[in-house]
Amino acid sequence: MRAGFAQVTDGFAGQPGVLPVLPALAGLLPGNGLARGAVVAVERPGLLCLALAAGASRAGAWCGVAGLPELGVVAAAGTGVNPGRLMLVPRPGRRWAEVTAELLEGCEVVVTRLPGPPPAPVRRRLEAVARQRGGVLIAAGQLWEGALVRLRVTRRSWAGIGNGYGRVRACRAEVTAEGRGAAARVRSCWLWLPGPDGAVTAAEPAGVTAGEHGGRAQAG
Amino acid sequence: MTAAARVLVAWCPDLASASDMEGCGQLAAVVEEFCPRAEVAGPGTCAIGVKGPARYFGGEKALAAAIAAALTRRGYRCRTGIADGLFAARLAARAGAVVPAGATRRFLAPYPVGVLGNAELAGLLARLGITTLGAFAALPAAAVASRFGPAGTAAQRMARGLEGRPLITGPPAAGLSVACEFDPPEQRAEPVIFTARALAERMHAGLAGRGLACLVVEIQVSCADGTQITRRWRHDGLLPALAVVQRVRWQLAGWPPARDDAAGGITALRLVPGQLVRDAGRQLALWGEEVISGRAGRAAARVQAMLGHDAVLYPVPGGGRGPADEVALVPFGEPRPARLPAGRPWPARIPPPSPAIIYPVPLPAAVTDASGNPVTVTGRANLSASPALLAAGDQVPMPVTAWAGPWPVTERWWRPARACRKARFQLVAAGSAWLASVRGGRWQVEASY
Repeated sequence: MRAGFAQVTDGFAGQPGVLPVLPALAGLLPGNGLARGAVVAVERPGLLCLALAAGASRAGAWCGVAGLPELGVVAAAGTGVNPGRLMLVPRPGRRWAEVTAELLEGCEVVVTRLPGPPPAPVRRRLEAVARQRGGVLIAAGQLWEGALVRLRVTRRSWAGIGNGYGRVRACRAEVTAEGRGAAARVRSCWLWLPGPDGAVTAAEPAGVTAGEHGGRAQAG
Repeated sequence: MTAAARVLVAWCPDLASASDMEGCGQLAAVVEEFCPRAEVAGPGTCAIGVKGPARYFGGEKALAAAIAAALTRRGYRCRTGIADGLFAARLAARAGAVVPAGATRRFLAPYPVGVLGNAELAGLLARLGITTLGAFAALPAAAVASRFGPAGTAAQRMARGLEGRPLITGPPAAGLSVACEFDPPEQRAEPVIFTARALAERMHAGLAGRGLACLVVEIQVSCADGTQITRRWRHDGLLPALAVVQRVRWQLAGWPPARDDAAGGITALRLVPGQLVRDAGRQLALWGEEVISGRAGRAAARVQAMLGHDAVLYPVPGGGRGPADEVALVPFGEPRPARLPAGRPWPARIPPPSPAIIYPVPLPAAVTDASGNPVTVTGRANLSASPALLAAGDQVPMPVTAWAGPWPVTERWWRPARACRKARFQLVAAGSAWLASVRGGRWQVEASY
């Protein structure tokens, strides 16, 4: 299995031991990627979770999703997730921890929504599986204690929609990352989440160039 | 080049979804009153060899009419058709025709190449200007073999009204059948289906060792009380291991039976391959073919064994106006086309970007104007007032900072059961953008960006 892994890693653009992420997100993460075996916590399920998985998925990694029946697959594909390498378990129910562990066995990136704050033994077991298999667990919903990085969307501003006219064309969002160890420094950046074409790219801070896309930006 | 055996197909469009395999078993039971060797050839499709029964029932036309009448009496909407070979008989059943012996090639000639069921080959043929089965059948067989390989040869033989692959008439496949016993008897269907996967792989390994493949597989399920559920399953192409597993699932769809403590659990599962042909092998394309890696496939199988086959899904592009219609979710390891084709314009669809969160069941919502009255939309899409507050699900009302709409959608008005008339809005509230709609005077939130 390890030998198989080495081959997969060679195909990736990033350093060994780190799964690649979209260039716009690299600045938020220690080592400019998803460190294999790490847990990344995201405050709420949404486009940010999908965008985190996009870089690795584009490089050929399988992506498992547990407990997110409302996942927008088209939006995920827009950020760069390969829908052909997506495995969805929308309703794991009471066996959430077992399903997540099985997905970590088979997929390099696993996005999961926590049904509640996970008990310490479950957390330690999943962390061990992730470390052993070299996968990355992206935990959405409740904040995961002891996560390498915690990501939050702090501000959002919508472009293209006004009071009774236009439509949603893009969203500028400020994402803040804090964590432990190498990620202890609080970093934040502005992203198009999503951009006009559905992709996630770096953006100017809202308010500086608001209304660039033909509509009025609304600070959220 | 002998012509294919005469085959009768009974086709019930109402049972044509794979979810109704229980009804399909009843269909096979009715057809078995005419011929004991009925083969289920897919959802809602049942096939029998015609030669013997036709003589007994007074001719092919009389047999087709008798089976159709028997099925209609039981309340099935159905059609029957007879032709040379299963492939042609399927099409004859859709047309409700009895094609005389030897006339099958002429009957097939006007059909488009898409009916061969090989999208890749059909696309290539269409680009070469060969759009009908008649034109494809007229090509020299040697040229087809050298250009399209074994799959192309088999497809051309079907277009000519012959068996896709010549049968091997030889010793029966007794030595090739595989079985697994359950002790104590298994009460649930899922573990049996999980075992069937390993069993099917073993059967294929045995066949491959002799350079053979099978067109028919007989699945025998023995129960603790001595009853045996046996059914023969047929496939136009070859039956890969996953297709065999799917057929075991279909066979067990009605199991455990409603009458409890009758069968007492499953004690054995046996797979017997039939109608053996030489395996010409399959060459993977140089690129563009998605091969599910062993590791991911194994993980999916384990989760399926834990939660059931439908618990692990993968997305297939579909078509539709709503964000939820653009993707169809298919159980992992099962090839099934989406309900509606993707890549069509779909006027009135929601323009990109697509929402990141699409609620499987729309959340009930309340939208009120500045003075607290509910916002309403008339049949001519006139709005009573500007939305000011949005309460989605059980959240507290959020002030609406921007909005757009209404965008009326009228779908499937010709089919009352699935008709849908609504007006869509985009609302920005509390920093999120929401896709909401009014249907029958009630607001609901379909998705959030």
